[in-house]
Amino acid sequence: MTEQLLVFVEELAFVSALRNSTFMYPLVNAGHILGISMLIGGIVPLDLRLLGLWRNYPVMVFVDVLRVTSAVGLGLAILFGALLFATAAVDYVGSPLFQAKISLVLLGVLNALILGRTFKRMDIQSLPMRARMPLALRAGAALSLGVWISVLILGRFLGYF
Amino acid sequence: MLQLRFTCLLCFAVFAAFLATSAVHAHHGWAWASDEEFEITGVIQSVRLGNPHGRVTITVDGEEWVVEVGQPWRNDRVGLTKEMLSPGREITVHGHRAAEEDMRKVKAERVVIDGKDYNLYPGRDS
Repeated sequence: MTEQLLVFVEELAFVSALRNSTFMYPLVNAGHILGISMLIGGIVPLDLRLLGLWRNYPVMVFVDVLRVTSAVGLGLAILFGALLFATAAVDYVGSPLFQAKISLVLLGVLNALILGRTFKRMDIQSLPMRARMPLALRAGAALSLGVWISVLILGRFLGYF
Repeated sequence: MLQLRFTCLLCFAVFAAFLATSAVHAHHGWAWASDEEFEITGVIQSVRLGNPHGRVTITVDGEEWVVEVGQPWRNDRVGLTKEMLSPGREITVHGHRAAEEDMRKVKAERVVIDGKDYNLYPGRDS
C-alpha cells in the first residue's frame, strides 16, 4: 500500500521530468540548500544568544529576526526537499539515514514550538539586558543546536551512503 | 579596528575555500572510488536512470554489482538510453571500483554494449 503510493509519487509526470532534467534538479537542490542555510544561519546565532553569547544586545532582536529567518528557511528546505524526495521516494523511505533525519526534523520543530511558548510564559522581554536565560530556555537552545546540526550532517550523508 | 579584523577573517575564509576546492576538484563525486583503472563484464539485471546519476545493477558470476553511470545529460550526450541498458544484455564497464574491498560498486567512465563504445568521460583515460 505505502509502496504503491511511493511508486505513484515517483511516476508523476512532473517528478519524472525533474528526475531526468538537466537544470531543474540542480536548481531544486540549490533551493533546498538555500533553505538549509537560512535555517542554520538563523538558528545558530539565536541559540548561542540564548546560551549566553552577545549579551550586550537585546535578546528580543535575536528572537524576532532570527526566528522568522529560520522558519522561512525550514519552509523552503521542506518544499524543495519534498521535490527531491519524490524523485526517489522508495529509496529514501527505506533508508535508515533518511528516517533518522526526518525524526530529528520533527524533534527540532517540536522543540522550537515549545521554546516559543516558553518565551511567552517566562516573559523574556522584561528580563534585564544581560540576564542569564532560564534553564528551560538554555536547555532548549542546546538541544536545538545539536538537533539541527545533526539534521544537516545526516542529510549530507544521505548523498553518499 | 574591528572592521579590519573582519576583513582579514573574510580574506582568510576565501583563501581556505579556494584551497579546499582545488584539492577536491579532481575527485568530485569520486571520493569512494579507487584510483586504479578497473574493468568488469556482466549481465544487466535492472536499471534506474535519472538525477543525481543513473544506477545499473549487473550480475557477474552470480554476484550483484552496482554500476554508476552519468547524470541524464551525460548519458544523453553519448546516446546511452534506458532501452540499451535493458535487462539481459551484456555490458562491459571501464572505470573505477569502490576502494573498499567488499563493496561491489563501480563508477563508469566508458561502457561497451554490443561492441559499441559509450564514453561518458571523454576527458579521462579509461
